[in-house]
Amino acid sequence: MLEVVGLAAGYLGERVVDGIDVEVRSGEAVAIVGSNGAGKTTLFRAIAGLLSTMEGRVVLDGKELTRRPAHRISRAGVAYVPAERHLFPAMTLKSNLVLGAYPRRPDPETLELVYDLFPRLKERQRQQAGTLSGGEQQMVAVARALMARPRLLMLDEPTTGLSPAIAQLAFEAFEELKKQGMTLLIAEQQVPLALSVADRGYVLENGRIRLEGASDELERNPEVRRAYLGVA
Amino acid sequence: MGGASRRGARLAGRALLPIVAVAVILVALPPLWFGDSPYTTSLAVRALVFASYGIGFNLIFGCTNQLFLCVGALAGIGGYSTAILADRSSLPIAAAIAVAVAGAALIGGLLSWIAVRRSLGIIFTGIVTLVFSLAFANFLLGQRDLTGSETGLVLTAAPASLADDRIRAYYLFAGVVVGLLIVFRALQLTHVGWAFRGLRDDEIAAELAGVDVARYRIYAATVGSAMIGLTGALYAYSSGFISPATYSFDLVDVRVLVLVAFGGLGTLLGPVIGAGVFAVVDERLTASLELREVLYGVFVIAIFLGFRRGVVHAFVALFDRLVGSRRSEPAREPSRQ
Amino acid sequence: MRAVVLDGIVLGLAFGLLGVGMTLVYGLGGVLNLAYGQIVVLAAIVISLLMEDGAATVLAALVGVLAAAGVAVLLDLTLMRPVYRQHGEERTLMGLLLTLGAAFVIGGLLTWRYPTGALYINVSGEPISILGVPMAVGSIWASVIALAVAALLLLFFGATTFGRGVRSVIQDETGARLVGINPSFVRTVIFALSGALAGVVAITQSMSGPLTVNAGFELTTFALIVTVVGGLGSVAGAFLAGVLLGVVNSLSAHYIGQYITTVILLGAAALTILVRPRGLLGR
Repeated sequence: MLEVVGLAAGYLGERVVDGIDVEVRSGEAVAIVGSNGAGKTTLFRAIAGLLSTMEGRVVLDGKELTRRPAHRISRAGVAYVPAERHLFPAMTLKSNLVLGAYPRRPDPETLELVYDLFPRLKERQRQQAGTLSGGEQQMVAVARALMARPRLLMLDEPTTGLSPAIAQLAFEAFEELKKQGMTLLIAEQQVPLALSVADRGYVLENGRIRLEGASDELERNPEVRRAYLGVA
Repeated sequence: MGGASRRGARLAGRALLPIVAVAVILVALPPLWFGDSPYTTSLAVRALVFASYGIGFNLIFGCTNQLFLCVGALAGIGGYSTAILADRSSLPIAAAIAVAVAGAALIGGLLSWIAVRRSLGIIFTGIVTLVFSLAFANFLLGQRDLTGSETGLVLTAAPASLADDRIRAYYLFAGVVVGLLIVFRALQLTHVGWAFRGLRDDEIAAELAGVDVARYRIYAATVGSAMIGLTGALYAYSSGFISPATYSFDLVDVRVLVLVAFGGLGTLLGPVIGAGVFAVVDERLTASLELREVLYGVFVIAIFLGFRRGVVHAFVALFDRLVGSRRSEPAREPSRQ
Repeated sequence: MRAVVLDGIVLGLAFGLLGVGMTLVYGLGGVLNLAYGQIVVLAAIVISLLMEDGAATVLAALVGVLAAAGVAVLLDLTLMRPVYRQHGEERTLMGLLLTLGAAFVIGGLLTWRYPTGALYINVSGEPISILGVPMAVGSIWASVIALAVAALLLLFFGATTFGRGVRSVIQDETGARLVGINPSFVRTVIFALSGALAGVVAITQSMSGPLTVNAGFELTTFALIVTVVGGLGSVAGAFLAGVLLGVVNSLSAHYIGQYITTVILLGAAALTILVRPRGLLGR
């Protein structure tokens, strides 16, 4: 569904990521793992249109997304949930979700689906988004992205600021989403968690793809184990 | 030893070259351009006065991003203090001017201190100083006994020769402009100028690099206000008569902001070029005040759409492109203090 | 005293709309439109010209509002593009200087072409008694129009999808982009809206007395004060501040004097900046 070919992106003329080739097939969950500074966020921002690509292409089901503005990419069906979430703090939780469906009016079925996935959100729907806890804000961010019924859901370090228990819950929700047929692209530092949901993974190091393969292959790979799983 | 001093001399020469050029032009101008017209001479004097205001404002706003919309008020403090002290106290005129300048510097420094303490950005600093401007104007109008209110003050201590013969006033202010340019340049070349540049580029980075942003801001505001106060004082001295209209916000501040921005904020010659261009506009369009206003607006828009940083930078960029080589600025070492 | 306060409220409602127009543009893009007062004057001149030619008042008013909106969009599409490409203080500075230039151009052209231009919408009728105070019919109409527009704005921002979209851009522009909102388009529409509000202010102000061609800078100053006191970017704050300052203006002008009144209003802005920078309802 999503094809990234030879992508290079960065800031102020400096390339942070280079020569990136990533493929995400429909219904798959793909993980991009790497340590801090590897370039995961830069890559995601480039795909989502928040950062202009210096080289390479991004194609969604044959439709060219390269260098298009972020709002167009969003409307094309790519929903990006950044680590900083970027919720609308002075609006209610529900209003945040409603805006997720922009420019359409929210589909009541989708809203129900989202509340089923994250029951806690239904309780707090009238609360101002800025006053929610970190975990709840993360759920709202994902829920908001889902309101647009996206074809591809991109999650950038979804466990940022979450306690291990909540992080676990979050990934259970992602697993559920995958079962319902959603295509996922997840960037994560927490490698075991990421690989537990993903079918395939790419290892990003210093801005380049180091390894790629099926998630269980990667889990067994000695380099990965040493660098990211803390196993000698 | 010899090498260092030769290099130093070359550096000093290079640094002062633009100022020398300006001085030469200013001296040559009257015989070439004015043609004995007292009107043209007055226009030129006015241009020089505004250039001087501009250099001070440039130091405050152009170098340290403090939008002081009280240039007229600071000049008025200089002018009115001089007038009042010279006529009503036993102070000789020079001493009166000195006190006036100190007063303006003090107020400017105080305003900057307030802005720094309350972390006011450009807009808020502008509004607060604007309020000060109006409060000062109101004070002038209100204190009839002290300031003469709308009818203004006559300086009996002012030499009639200056007031009548505008050519002598012209040379006085030409000297002031050159003098202020030298001070500005000197500051640019020391650690102060280095701090200013860092501050303007990225305030947070400068702070982290150890630059005491607050201190340099207040310093710039004090010196700049002194320059403005001095100009205001000398204007009172040279023209023999001042009124609140002389230093009003409408007539002074708006014009200074526009001409310095046009010439180039933070550059050495920006205020001079801006004042010159606007004086020419005034001369060409003597008939219509409104059309002049339109032209000012067009100039400001054009320069900012075409080149954000003013005429000086536009010329430098053009020069660089034509000549092909990159004119590198001499590396300015922060002087060891 | 009651009469003065009521007059103040009438004035304040106009102030409020002025403030809303200015604060909207600021909230969306960080730009203070120093040409705002001139747009009000432009609308006034357009309306007065049409009325001189015999057009019906309502039609002329409508055209005036559209003209103001049109000029605002023109400003946005030409001058504001390069401004929005900057960030932080660069953007603030460039916005101030470019709109100042625009103010000179628009104001200069209008005062040059129509030096005696003024708009006065004379609404005939016997004064109506409100709370025991006889109010001119013009003032009543002005207030009704202002309140109606305020209600429409409330509806727009609270209930429509686009209105919610505008609020989202103000609160988190990146978030807005991520849900498919084009901030550039939103800014242009809001600029147009602010222009339309300027047109409405021209209408309401001219019902109480003649609105002259040199009122531009004064109007911009009032808009600025109201915006600051209400809280930069807060629509409700601007409206509230407008009404309050309108009353203050009225009381001060009546009991103290016109010139001091301007100082007092600016003083209020300065006080807000020094004591409570986020204004009445700002965040």
